Amino acid sequence: MIEVIKPGLETSVQDYPGRIGFWAQGFPPSGPMDNWSFRLANLLVGNSTDAAGLECQLVGPTLKFQAATVVAICGADMKPTLDGMPVRMWESIAVDADQTLALGFATLGARAYIAVSGGIDTPRLLGSRSTFNKAGVGGMEGHALKAGQDIPVGIRKGTVGRKVKPEARPTFATDKVWVVEVVRGPNDDWIDEAGHQRFLSSDWKLSSKSDRTGFRLEGPRWTFTSKATNKAPEHGSEPSNIIDQGYPVGAINLAGQTPIILVNDGPSMGGFVNPYTVPSAAFWKLGQAKPGEILRFRSVSVEDAQELRRRIDGICGESSIN
Amino acid sequence: MIYSEAKFLPAGDRFVLIEFGDEMNLELNFMAQGLARAIAEQKTKGVVETAPCFASLLVHYDPDLISFKELQAEIAALIRALGPSDDIVLDSRLFYLPTMYCDPWTRACVEDYCNKITKKETDPELIARVNGLVDVDQLVRLHSGTEYWVAALGFWPGLPFMMALDPRCVLTAPKYNPPRTWTPEGTIGLGGASSSIYPVATPGGYQIFARTPVPIWDLGKRFPVFHDSIVLFRAGDRIKFVPIDKEEFEFIEAQVKEGTYVYNVVEYQKFSARNYKAWVSSLDRSKRF
Repeated sequence: MIEVIKPGLETSVQDYPGRIGFWAQGFPPSGPMDNWSFRLANLLVGNSTDAAGLECQLVGPTLKFQAATVVAICGADMKPTLDGMPVRMWESIAVDADQTLALGFATLGARAYIAVSGGIDTPRLLGSRSTFNKAGVGGMEGHALKAGQDIPVGIRKGTVGRKVKPEARPTFATDKVWVVEVVRGPNDDWIDEAGHQRFLSSDWKLSSKSDRTGFRLEGPRWTFTSKATNKAPEHGSEPSNIIDQGYPVGAINLAGQTPIILVNDGPSMGGFVNPYTVPSAAFWKLGQAKPGEILRFRSVSVEDAQELRRRIDGICGESSIN
Repeated sequence: MIYSEAKFLPAGDRFVLIEFGDEMNLELNFMAQGLARAIAEQKTKGVVETAPCFASLLVHYDPDLISFKELQAEIAALIRALGPSDDIVLDSRLFYLPTMYCDPWTRACVEDYCNKITKKETDPELIARVNGLVDVDQLVRLHSGTEYWVAALGFWPGLPFMMALDPRCVLTAPKYNPPRTWTPEGTIGLGGASSSIYPVATPGGYQIFARTPVPIWDLGKRFPVFHDSIVLFRAGDRIKFVPIDKEEFEFIEAQVKEGTYVYNVVEYQKFSARNYKAWVSSLDRSKRF
């Protein structure tokens, strides 16, 4: 068991790839937003990449371990300490019984991942331990961690001192600007050429009104084709309205004039167009961008996006550890 | 319109949206559900899951197992093999759902919206007016006088998007602008030509006029009907709203609390697009209930 002394801003149990196969019932996948860092953390402590760990958002938790184990922290730098002494990230470390691991404010990146040998052992719901906070599904009693809770942990012997090779780690933006890949579609023909140009050439500020359901973006106005402005009334009154349709995870969903990237806990359908989709290989960047930072979008083909995904999947393996 | 050929719209590296047309037409949903079933039966390589909506089917695939082009070719062949939508026959359960129309809880919710956000005409009266109905009683007759078709689930776990099967009972309504910040759990609403039930208290944009005491999702699986799935409905089910008064609402609410409520579900029927269309064409749509 691990006792939650301080829960942090929003620390939740997640597993990869999450709750898959229930999109038609309206259940989002959930899971870690930066699954690159998450998977590496699991490998460091000897878990398989689908074991459950903790996602810490912007401000990390303080945790007291009731039994000795091996832990690894990857992702955002939250200056982790063990009984007050700094500990290394991207490396498996020993934690003794009654020691306290504390993570602070994220100084670089937004989300840190804590993996524990044996994995977090909360009950599975629909095949996954991932937390869908908004609906009270999965994780610790359906929600982010609360002070005083005891987190159950599985049993496995980890090895101390395993490190992620430097070249296998994701590189976080130090200038607060993230270049995020996007694939055109499904509803790209609702936006006119000037609108596409503007989307791809502008800086988009990540709004503070963002969470694991959606990342709201602030930027220039959108302009539309006649498909959006001259359509049957059943689509709705706004140019960005469309007859309710299924949303892909990663959709850049245009609610009126506000684009919202639908991320891991996002809705499965609705009545707005999605002119672009962020592919899975770029999700780690979304997971590590802080509110107020800038996103710039780079259009790639479906095939390029799939190749990027394969490259990251290739990195998230034993060959990246030494 | 209904497209002569379905459109394959890429949606990132692992989704494709297959669009059959761009109007609110049950036929398009039959095509989406028919294709979803065909993909499940054929176990199309690389398909992780599908999600039908009103006029389209979202397909989630594993790009390590199948390329976008290969998937498109596989699914296009399945669509051709499906033939005309008339031939589609779907398993369809029928749920009788006790419903209190013009209930005090949705009234209070609308009142709260008027006080805190913006003044608006009360929802049942607005729906009656925009649909040219005699009064709110006729709204109740029409809404409870047809079976509703579950076209899709989504937006929230278990939330059904439904369309009236009897064309004489079709109602439409504008959506809230701005949306409500809360809606009572079990509220029944109407937006565009789609009706819905709010599984939990959430924000919302549909006009609201009724409430059911019966849970439509159950994380704790307290009722046998949730044995196989924690959400009550699936696409292709039908729902019949049965008007009840406040006394019966409270009686059922107490049964739900105790865990003794018995869901009223009919499970032996199939839905034939051909039979349905033949019936619809025999109706005099000018005569409303």
